[in-house]
Amino acid sequence: MVTTLWAGLSIGAVYALVAIAYNIVFIGTRVFNFAQAYILMVGTFIAVEAASRFDLPLGVAIVVCAVAGALIGAVEEFIAVRPLARKGSHNELVTTLGIGVILSGIALVLWGSEPRAMPYLKEFGVLDVLGGRVTVGELSLIVVAIVVGVGMWLLSTRTSIGLTALATSEDRDAAMLRGVNVRGLATGAFALAGALVGAVAPLVATKTYATYHLGEGLAVKAFLVLALGGFGSMLGSLLAAGIVGILEMFAARYLGSDWQNITVFVLLLIVLVVLPHGLFSRGKAQERVV
Amino acid sequence: MRMSLRRYLTAPLWIIPLALGAVVLALPYLGTAPAVLRIIVSICLLALLVVGLNVTFGYSGELALGQAAFYAVGAYLAGYLAIQGFDLSITVLVALVAAAVVGLLTGIPGLRLGSWSMAMVTFFLVLLVPDVVTLLTEHTGGPSGLTGIPLPVLFGARLSTTGYYTLVVAVTIVFFVVIRNFIVSPHGQALRVMHTSPVLARSLGFSVTRLKLTAYLIGAAPAGVAGALFAYQDGYISPTSFGLSMAIVILAATIIGGSASIYGAVVGAAIMVIGPLRATGLQQYSLIIFGLILLVGALFFSGGIAGLARKLVRRYLVRDEVLPDAQAAVPSDDLISRLRGETLEVKGLVKRFGGNTALNDVSVTFAEGTVTGLIGPNGSGKTTLLNVVSGFYRPDEGTIRLGGDDLTTLQPHRIARRGVARTFQTPIIPQGLSVVETIAIAMQSAHGVTLASSILRLPGFARTRRRHRAQALELLALLDIAHLADVEASSLPLGTRRLVEVARALAADAKLVLLDEPASGLDEGEVAELAALIRKLRASGATIVLVEHNFEMVMSVSDHVYVLDTGRIVSEGDPDHVRSDPRVTEVYLGTALGAREEER
Repeated sequence: MVTTLWAGLSIGAVYALVAIAYNIVFIGTRVFNFAQAYILMVGTFIAVEAASRFDLPLGVAIVVCAVAGALIGAVEEFIAVRPLARKGSHNELVTTLGIGVILSGIALVLWGSEPRAMPYLKEFGVLDVLGGRVTVGELSLIVVAIVVGVGMWLLSTRTSIGLTALATSEDRDAAMLRGVNVRGLATGAFALAGALVGAVAPLVATKTYATYHLGEGLAVKAFLVLALGGFGSMLGSLLAAGIVGILEMFAARYLGSDWQNITVFVLLLIVLVVLPHGLFSRGKAQERVV
Repeated sequence: MRMSLRRYLTAPLWIIPLALGAVVLALPYLGTAPAVLRIIVSICLLALLVVGLNVTFGYSGELALGQAAFYAVGAYLAGYLAIQGFDLSITVLVALVAAAVVGLLTGIPGLRLGSWSMAMVTFFLVLLVPDVVTLLTEHTGGPSGLTGIPLPVLFGARLSTTGYYTLVVAVTIVFFVVIRNFIVSPHGQALRVMHTSPVLARSLGFSVTRLKLTAYLIGAAPAGVAGALFAYQDGYISPTSFGLSMAIVILAATIIGGSASIYGAVVGAAIMVIGPLRATGLQQYSLIIFGLILLVGALFFSGGIAGLARKLVRRYLVRDEVLPDAQAAVPSDDLISRLRGETLEVKGLVKRFGGNTALNDVSVTFAEGTVTGLIGPNGSGKTTLLNVVSGFYRPDEGTIRLGGDDLTTLQPHRIARRGVARTFQTPIIPQGLSVVETIAIAMQSAHGVTLASSILRLPGFARTRRRHRAQALELLALLDIAHLADVEASSLPLGTRRLVEVARALAADAKLVLLDEPASGLDEGEVAELAALIRKLRASGATIVLVEHNFEMVMSVSDHVYVLDTGRIVSEGDPDHVRSDPRVTEVYLGTALGAREEER
């Protein structure tokens, strides 16, 4: 029972981290980055390589993955998003999905289709916390997600760069006229989001292993977390991620693993119908219609 | 050699694809090798999936990745029922209905939040296929696949390989005819309008949610049927045929062929089937290739092959000319009588945005058959008032009545259908529609053709279309631009596009026409023409509201003028009264001084 709770919270932490990355890109550019979870997937492979082939300590692996994630994010913004700015509404979805598929394809070619286990943090084994079994990797994921979520919330609501990003997402033209470097902000948001999912990839891999199709499931579940928590709300994402993770793990335990995704999907449909603005929407800004 | 525009518009060009279809249908009797026929079947099945996606993605603008899931639903249901001994007519029908049901279940929630949620819900739907198949292993064969699907039996007769081929090609042709008829009808044009601007679609009286859901369901139907047909191809299906990679293949074919096209779907499907899907040596790299197609295609070739072909035909093969009916068009008495307006009364209107009160106790009357000017400095609430009247903002207090009917709480498309029409500060003209089509679309929501009549081309369809064209031409004649009737509307210069918008606003039997800064961007001559046009419309009895910065123009055409400042009416009366009102001078000079100070 408590073990399932820990499992739910820790997988929820992974969703929360991807959702927070979605939010960073969304606040900075109003774009939904389909490839976000795929960047995390690439990070898990780099982490496995760092550990098994190069014997790097965990701290170094985290830095390497963060740099790689930031690079992929920035390059993605440059080739798949920037050319479309101001052009059309839905093509970003296609181009960022294209990037995601390319990343999957590269991972498949480089590392094959077998899941790869993560050597880090193996030495700690499994702990008994509050009557449930949980690994150190899982516990750290939960802590990291909370720290990052609260940190990003402070960043986006208390610092000038965060407020600038918020303002830009509300009205790009007005921000540009006020001297905001809108392009720099966009690249920065993609790079920051990439760095975030890259940095947590070594921890995530201890839980999910590294496989080339890791991105897909994470992408849709992190989207549900985003919808449930309210678009743009960092703290909402944290809470929603806990709910989704726990629901998923309990469904897997009591209904069977084939029900895991179906249950989450039903929750998504319900959320979209009943709570279309999520639990913690920042209050829908009135957009000028014409 | 160029064809005349008249030919291009009236000739039965649809015969060409239909004839091609007939040739393909006859191939088995011309001694074509079975291996080729098999490839054609695969192309047909993929083309059915792709053309459905083109309706949802290319025309209605919602990226729906669920085609692969509808395909799976159709295939598994048909496979299961065929094993139980059901006739093909039943299995195909069940597949069609099931696709529609899954479409409704996912479409209603998916369309709530706009583009991302549709893409994600349908993406998720595809991911669920293996789970559902495994859950129902007893009926589906689970991960190892469903075997033993018998050869198709249609109305009691067992179909040969040739019969199956003929069936698949025939079904494909039928779906293409139906979808083509849908897309070139006003229903399809409404999708283009919505794709360009949902706001415009609503202000022309269309419910955006309904349009999107209709498009999504029409897109799902061929996918379900294609699945049912696929089940019989090898007598064996497994979940690997319906996974995410299938969804990506469908999207890639759409992008290559051109998402906003019908026949492009066949081209895209053929390229995918003959190219990447057969090159087994590339299997390992297929994800990279598909991803590149999505990226590069969406970046650089947004029209795909079909878009390119269309441009070339129009530019090099068609000669522009003014058609005889456009030359002969004159405004009739019937048109003039339909321009007659009604009175709109706004009482005690309050609209707040957070702490900012944009409209504060505004009461105005736009009297029947008059021109009312609405002026005021930037940010005084003019456009907010227009948006509240047309239903895009819900007022916090107050009432809005048109000719006695309460509009206060109606949705924008309901208000539009009641007779409130508008133009926009920046004209919104969908691409790919002629001037006549741009105007006729405004008549669709109130007096349009039904979906069934459009798809089946019942006699009423042609009749309505002729009537709409005649009425649009009359309006254009009234505005003196009938010679532009068959030119692409979005390519016209700004002044003319404004006139097209005015014609579109009038076309829907408007009882009240809201003109939002119609003179901005026009030169002096054009402003004078616009003023003359407004007087002409008033003479016909139309009720017109003019929101304008051009002070002199407003004064010269208005019967009554309201001056707004910071959300309040500060002055009203006839133009002479307002012109001499010291408060008006103060509002304008005051803000002018303020603005100058801010600049320093």
